[in-house]
Amino acid sequence: MGKDCKKRCVAPTSICKKQFMAMTGLLLCGFLLAHLSGNCLIYVSADAFNRYGHMLVTNPLILPAEMGLVALFLAHICMAIKLTVENKNARPQNYYLKSKTGRGATFASSTMPYTGMIILIFLVLYLITVKYGPYYVTQVDGKEMRDLYRLLAENFSNPLHVAGYIFCVSALGIHVSHGFWSAFQSFGINHPRCNCLLKCLSKIFGLLMALGYSALPLFLYLKGGKL
Amino acid sequence: MTAHNMKLKLKIWRQKNKNAQGNMTDYHLEGVSPDMSFLEMIDLLNENLVKSGEDVVSFDHDCREGICGMCSMMINGEAHGPEKSTTTCQLHMRKFKDGDTIVIEPWRAKAFPVLKDLTVDRSAFDQIMSAGGYVTVNTGAACDANSILVSKVDADLAMDAAQCIGCGACVASCKNASAMLFVSAKVSQYSLLPQGKVEAPKRVQNMVAKMDQLGFGNCTNEAECEASCPKDITIENIARMNRDHLKAKLFSRPEIE
Amino acid sequence: MSLKLDSKIPDGPIQDKWNEHKFHLKIVNPANKRKYKILIVGTGLAGSSAAASLSEMGYQVEVFCIQDSPRRAHSIAAQGGINAAKNYTNEGDSVWRLFYDTIKGGDYRAREANVYRLASVANNIIDQCTAQGVPFAREYGGQLANRSFGGSQVQRTFYARGQTGQQLLLGAYSALMKQYGAHKVKIHARSEMVDLIVVDGKARGIIVRDVVTGEMSSHYGDAVVLGTGGYGNVFYLSTNAKGSNTSAIWRAYKKGAAFGNPCYTQIHPTCIPVSSGHQSKLTLMSESLRNDGRVWVPKKEHDNRSPEKISDEERDYYLERIYPSFGNLVPRDVASRNAKNQCDQKKGVGTTGLSVYLDFRDAIKRDGESAVRARYGNLFDMYERITDENPYKVPMRIYPAVHYTMGGLWVDYNLMSSIPGLYVIGEANFSDHGANRLGASALMQGLADGYFVLPNTIGDYLASNKFEKIDDKHPEFQKGLKDSQGRYKNFMEINGKHTVDDFHRALGKVMWDKVGMARNKEGLETAIKEIQKIKQDFWKDVKVTGSADGINSELEKAGRVADFIELGELMAKDALLREESCGGHFREEHQTPEGEAKRDDQKFSHVAAYEYQGDGQDPIRHTEQLKFENVKIAQRSYK
Repeated sequence: MGKDCKKRCVAPTSICKKQFMAMTGLLLCGFLLAHLSGNCLIYVSADAFNRYGHMLVTNPLILPAEMGLVALFLAHICMAIKLTVENKNARPQNYYLKSKTGRGATFASSTMPYTGMIILIFLVLYLITVKYGPYYVTQVDGKEMRDLYRLLAENFSNPLHVAGYIFCVSALGIHVSHGFWSAFQSFGINHPRCNCLLKCLSKIFGLLMALGYSALPLFLYLKGGKL
Repeated sequence: MTAHNMKLKLKIWRQKNKNAQGNMTDYHLEGVSPDMSFLEMIDLLNENLVKSGEDVVSFDHDCREGICGMCSMMINGEAHGPEKSTTTCQLHMRKFKDGDTIVIEPWRAKAFPVLKDLTVDRSAFDQIMSAGGYVTVNTGAACDANSILVSKVDADLAMDAAQCIGCGACVASCKNASAMLFVSAKVSQYSLLPQGKVEAPKRVQNMVAKMDQLGFGNCTNEAECEASCPKDITIENIARMNRDHLKAKLFSRPEIE
Repeated sequence: MSLKLDSKIPDGPIQDKWNEHKFHLKIVNPANKRKYKILIVGTGLAGSSAAASLSEMGYQVEVFCIQDSPRRAHSIAAQGGINAAKNYTNEGDSVWRLFYDTIKGGDYRAREANVYRLASVANNIIDQCTAQGVPFAREYGGQLANRSFGGSQVQRTFYARGQTGQQLLLGAYSALMKQYGAHKVKIHARSEMVDLIVVDGKARGIIVRDVVTGEMSSHYGDAVVLGTGGYGNVFYLSTNAKGSNTSAIWRAYKKGAAFGNPCYTQIHPTCIPVSSGHQSKLTLMSESLRNDGRVWVPKKEHDNRSPEKISDEERDYYLERIYPSFGNLVPRDVASRNAKNQCDQKKGVGTTGLSVYLDFRDAIKRDGESAVRARYGNLFDMYERITDENPYKVPMRIYPAVHYTMGGLWVDYNLMSSIPGLYVIGEANFSDHGANRLGASALMQGLADGYFVLPNTIGDYLASNKFEKIDDKHPEFQKGLKDSQGRYKNFMEINGKHTVDDFHRALGKVMWDKVGMARNKEGLETAIKEIQKIKQDFWKDVKVTGSADGINSELEKAGRVADFIELGELMAKDALLREESCGGHFREEHQTPEGEAKRDDQKFSHVAAYEYQGDGQDPIRHTEQLKFENVKIAQRSYK
């Protein structure tokens, strides 16, 4: 029995893995929310946005925070891949015909791996174009700093980029609209009293992410790159 | 009453034995009455097959009143067919139309190997149960029944969970072939009752570990299990199990033996 | 050889018999228990509970069931509840009252000592099941709830919604799984017993067919326990599961075990009627419906107007008319027989004319639809699912159906059959219900046998006998294996024109028409001839397709139907020889002027047990006299 116990502690059970996904997912949701609120400065002014960007990159804590974020993303992604592979293996032979009852799975829930993949691709493109993209310089309050606003405005003057971005953040919205509630379910928070609230909250959160993130490229596109 | 003579096209999975390759086979069936149960429709097909000298379609069934959990068919892509809270044996042909094509397959999961045609091996469920789906009490060791008080709310919730018939529709309909609903129903029943609380941490860990070991998939909270469960077991039970499991992992101590 | 029926009922006052008896039984010491192997066939309430209990005691136990898991045995379908004389309701219930009610309910054809023991261990069953985590219904204070049931004036029935059988079976199954997880029980699922092996006069093993591979194998042990349920499926249509069969006990009968009271069958009045020839089984609806539903038929013959067009004056509420004091709540056998009478008078309703109305119109008018829904909602839903008729709008149609068999293998007080070492428990034996079983008593008996009686009595047999070492090389096993293989090969080779179900339906029709709710001399004599003809035809003309080495449901059915045919003949013979009416056995020649069952206590206050004499030979009818020292015998009256 002792040996069994040890084994139990070492090999994570399917529930542990789910809860790991839930935890990383919820933390990532927090990041999404923070990122979105930062983005809102773009509606104030280009300078305000650039100042915010500068403040972030010059903060000494940014490196550990970024590393943490990368770890979080990687952990969420790797576990997702592992779980998806395991899940595929659990049914080696597929059904000839499989239909949904219409009473359980939703579009969001059944496309989690796919929306997740879209988000991953988006993340990579985003990092390439923004974080590691052209380094324009501007002066704000007499200080030299990166002109992120210009970079974004240039990018989103292209309607294709705008459409692509919106597509991806819509996928993100869909992903979290299931993921958010799902995380609570995985931690065992499911009670007739709060289920409705949680499910609504989850959908609202998804919608907020999709709309909130979509607003930025639209705003810049409609402004037509003007300051 | 509708006409007594529905004509159907059936596409049925035929597989000789566990190791053979199977395939979908087409059958035309006439003389189906809308009052027949789905299994009586298969009975009719089988009688025709016998008369024409062919091997019958093998399928599991027993009580034919929705309680034994034997019947197990994927009908047009849905576990136990299109009706909510209904086992295959309680599904009637009046839910189909004359001329329909009906696709019938066995449950599919690595942990439920097909034995023949529509018959699958669900002994994995017994294995999970033997890993902890009980209260350790020997015959004769019980105290007076009324010395254990159970709140009516808990007793009702436990009964909701205990209604599981172990048919495996949850596994069949889950896109990950996960057995979480089945396991959580049993874990919930016992964790809600004082009799089961004593062993609850050990039970939940052992049963979940056994479920994983047998090759069932992971839960992705899609609730297709709940939707296709003929006994309306809810995923609230899964949440309860997740909670109990987390608590057990964090706070319970291993036994010393 | 001629057998002697020794019931081994202990002496002494009835209250002390069981305790005294337990004290005198030999006990196998704990270290020696593991040397004995017990084979248990069937995993219903009786089989599972016995297997778990015996294994906990330390015996080696092997369990066999035909389903894919022990949890699926047909005990699972019992709806109502389980009786026990806990007297939690302060209504003056006692073991004595439960005993008395059960004896009376059985129409004075059961053994007093057995029934008293059953009543006295019933309380322990409730304790045991509660400890296992069976979610019995509770009161708001947390105590167990009770409800009332037919045949008793106190509320003593414990229940778990409408699924008491399921919950009790899952409780026993969980105990079995506990032992299985600890590697103390071997379970052979999808395995069918096809023969019993008797060595030197003792039951020492069984031949088993693996349903998946078709392979036959021998299993040997020191005792064999059959908990294989009843034989209601001899009628083809019954409320039994499709797989329920008589083969295990019939094979044992053919090896020398006496068959007790084969003609006692219970016919349940509230079942959903047959809709047409394709019907494969019948569904029971709880008896509780008769609390609020009123049973009626049109006064006119062949009146096929829709029920709402038939005015109250044109309706015959026949139960209320004939039995003014009990009305719609007369016992099962009386209600069933009256429904049949009405249909025989061509007053039956529905397309087949074989059903009567159970009308909730007045209850809905009185209490409102929501109150009726709260009480019977799930039953109404079930009815609508099956019949496509809405019982809130249209009266339900009901008809009696075969439900339970009180007869079974004869056993003594220790539950041992007339073959030493062969124990029979639960519905498979004949012991505790006499000629009629009360509601909520079947679960009680199955668990009493398995948890509390057999574990005590089997040790005495093991401790007082010497067992020579045997294995499956023993000539008896070799012979049994060869016979069984030959029998199944034969089924495959007949290659006739009719399916197994054709024969089963034919048998069912004869049984239902002539050996069913009402029997008479002429009908029974014809039935015997007809069954013999069916038997001949079966062995000439049955067609089984597929192969013998693999899953083949037709082959399995062939084996079972062959046994049902032979059993049907024995049932008819027993019914013919029992020249009286009692409980579920109603002989039209023996009724009171009012048409009620008339017992003949002078001539038939006994158990009839049949000893097999060979194929085509009449079995010997042995009798065991029933002595009533504690109960006053009376004629039942429900007027």
